[in-house]
Amino acid sequence: MNKKIIIALFPMLVVLFASLFSSKYPDTLEAFSVKQGFEKQAKKIVLVFNDYNLPFINNRFLSFFCSGMIGLVLLYILYKTIK
Amino acid sequence: MHIPNGFLSNNLSAGLLAGTSIMFTYCLKRVYKIATTDLPMVSENNKNIGVCTFDFFNEKSEYFQKLTIIAMWIFSSQMFNIPVQSKISAHLIGGVFTSIIVGPFAGFLVISSVLIVQSIFFADGGILALGANIFNMAFIGSFISYYVYKAVANKSHHLAVFIACLFSVLSAAFFCLVELNISGVVNFSTSFKDMMYLHLIIALLEAIITLALLWLLKFVCK
Repeated sequence: MNKKIIIALFPMLVVLFASLFSSKYPDTLEAFSVKQGFEKQAKKIVLVFNDYNLPFINNRFLSFFCSGMIGLVLLYILYKTIK
Repeated sequence: MHIPNGFLSNNLSAGLLAGTSIMFTYCLKRVYKIATTDLPMVSENNKNIGVCTFDFFNEKSEYFQKLTIIAMWIFSSQMFNIPVQSKISAHLIGGVFTSIIVGPFAGFLVISSVLIVQSIFFADGGILALGANIFNMAFIGSFISYYVYKAVANKSHHLAVFIACLFSVLSAAFFCLVELNISGVVNFSTSFKDMMYLHLIIALLEAIITLALLWLLKFVCK
């Protein structure tokens, strides 16, 4: 297989694996804020793809995977625009 | 590592956003210059384009494709949260990996673009805190860390990557703590140990994943 295709496919594969195996636990800054007691200061804003989830897909795996793929497409569009 | 809205004071957020916007514009100009002038695309010591010497989108016309691919690698890797301690997860920052492949200026641009997409579309990091996140992860974690890598790279590539990754994560966490302290959210002296301890494991993880990704890219390109 063409190496450029392999390199381009790799992030999609990582998104797939992330959808299956990504940890649901809070990241270090969230954990730190909980430990220090200022986690409630965080202001959540509601966006379409909040926390890599699509509101109209009930399946967590599919929702996470699709939002990841949308993210990749958005980056592709961004760099096409910059170019 | 992504700071949400509400943690930082408005003045600090605005100041960092202004500063990183200037840096973003400057890096964008540098990237356009690299893509349009006759600078060699592959060079061991070319600080403009990184130290990527393997055959990977090295034509002038493919420069933006290279940036797109690296941005996609970083975005997908940052989606993958790995459990590191009981009930705590971590993900790659990817600053050192990016700047080694594409250079410090494009590295800053790539990490910033990933943070912008994450913040605007996925609420991963606050929009108001975008300047702080870009400063911590793109400027400190990628741009400055590249020069740490370069300082040690003459002795050993692997050691340089390892040290740069440690510097990248720990200094990004340090500056995050400074920003929280300036905003009056935490006390620096009492929370320093907690913050650094939490990020030490991530720094080691960052080094291992960065080395693995560099090896993978080299292996595919061979």
